[in-house]
Amino acid sequence: MTALSIPVLKTRRLVLRGPEPEDYPDFKATFTSYRARFMGGPLNAYESWMLYAAEIGHWAIRGFGMWMIHDRQTDETYGMAGGWKPAKWPEAEIAWVIWPSAAGNGIALEATHAARDHFYRHCGWQTAVSYIDPKNLDSIRLAERLGAKKDHDAPSIDGNDAVYRHPTPAQLSGTQLAHGIEMEIGHYADPLFKPKGWALD
Amino acid sequence: MTPHLADTPVLETDRLVLRAPGAQDWPGFNAMMASERSRFIRPGDLDEGQIWRSFGHVIGHWVMRGWGLFTITARGDDTALGMAGPWFPAGWPEPEIGWSLWQPDAEGKGYAFEAATATRGFAYDVLEWDSAVSYIAPDNTRSIALAERLGARPDPAAAYPGDTPCVVYRHPAPDSLADGGMEAYA
Repeated sequence: MTALSIPVLKTRRLVLRGPEPEDYPDFKATFTSYRARFMGGPLNAYESWMLYAAEIGHWAIRGFGMWMIHDRQTDETYGMAGGWKPAKWPEAEIAWVIWPSAAGNGIALEATHAARDHFYRHCGWQTAVSYIDPKNLDSIRLAERLGAKKDHDAPSIDGNDAVYRHPTPAQLSGTQLAHGIEMEIGHYADPLFKPKGWALD
Repeated sequence: MTPHLADTPVLETDRLVLRAPGAQDWPGFNAMMASERSRFIRPGDLDEGQIWRSFGHVIGHWVMRGWGLFTITARGDDTALGMAGPWFPAGWPEPEIGWSLWQPDAEGKGYAFEAATATRGFAYDVLEWDSAVSYIAPDNTRSIALAERLGARPDPAAAYPGDTPCVVYRHPAPDSLADGGMEAYA
C-alpha cells in the first residue's frame, strides 16, 4: 500500500490526518460547488480530482500540507486545514476549508489553531500568512479570531487576494491572545457555553 | 521526517531504474512542461502554478490509486529522464500506459520503449490489468511510432478523455505477450 507518513494531530473534538482516497467524495462535493468560489472553484470533476491528488503530493514535495479534518468520535470529515505553498506562493500559507454542512461549530478555528501550533512548534515556522479573497468575509473573520492582521506590505499571490499575517510563535506562547483562542474553542466544544450569533466557520 | 511515498515498487531494466516520483524531479518536470516538448500532453499553455499542481497530482496519484507513473532514471544516476507507467486520473475512460521523455538528449536510445515495456509488464503482472490503452495526440508521430513498436494498435471504438480527439492505442492483451513483460524487470 502506497502511503505518505503524514503526522496525525488530535484536538479536543477533532483528528487531523493526511488526505486519504476514501475522503475524496467529500472534498469533491465542496470543490465542485459554489462554496469553492473563493478557492479557485467551482472545479469540474477532473480538476477537483487533480487538486485533491495535488494536496497529497504537496506533502511529499514540501514536507507539509493540508490535513483532512475528522470528527474524533465518528471519523466523519468536516473540511481541511493546514499549510499550503504551491509554486508562485510568496510565503507559506495557513489555509482552511469547511464543508458547508459542518459550518457554524468552530471547527475551522480549532483545526487551524492546531495546525499552526504544529508548524510553529515542530516545523520551525517563524511566521505565516493567509491569502484571502476580500469578499470572503467568513474567512477574514476567522483569520482575525486566530489573531491574524492584514499585512498591507506583504506580496499577494496575484493582486486579487488580501494577505493576513498570523501572530508569531512568541505572540501565541502563553499570551492573552492564545488563551482567548483556546477559550473560544472550548466554548464551541462545550454546548453549555456555546456563544450565540457569530459562529461562521 | 519529511513525508514521502513509501512502499513503492522499483523496476529495473537493463539500463534503467524506474522509481516513484519525488520532490527531486520537480525541476525536470517543470522545464519539460514549460517547453514545447509537452505540447501533446497538456491542454494549452500552463503557468508555473498549474504545472506545479500537475506535478503534485502525479505524486498524489500514487496514494489515490496505489500506483502511478514511475520516474525514469539511468542506472547509477538518479536524475529524472522522464516518466512512464500506469496512469488513471479522474476522467480517463480506462487505465492508460503513459510515457514522456523530458530532454532531447534522452531520445533516440530506446529508453521510452524500455520503460513502457517494463511498466506495462508491471501493470499486467502485478496490478493484474487485463487491458491497457495509450491516449496519443494524432500528430504526436514519435509516440505513435513507439506505441506501434510496443504492439499497440488504434482502437477506433474506444472512448478518449476530454473533448480533444486523440488516438486510442490498444496494447496487446497480457496473454498475447510472449514474455508477459515481467522478465523485463525481474
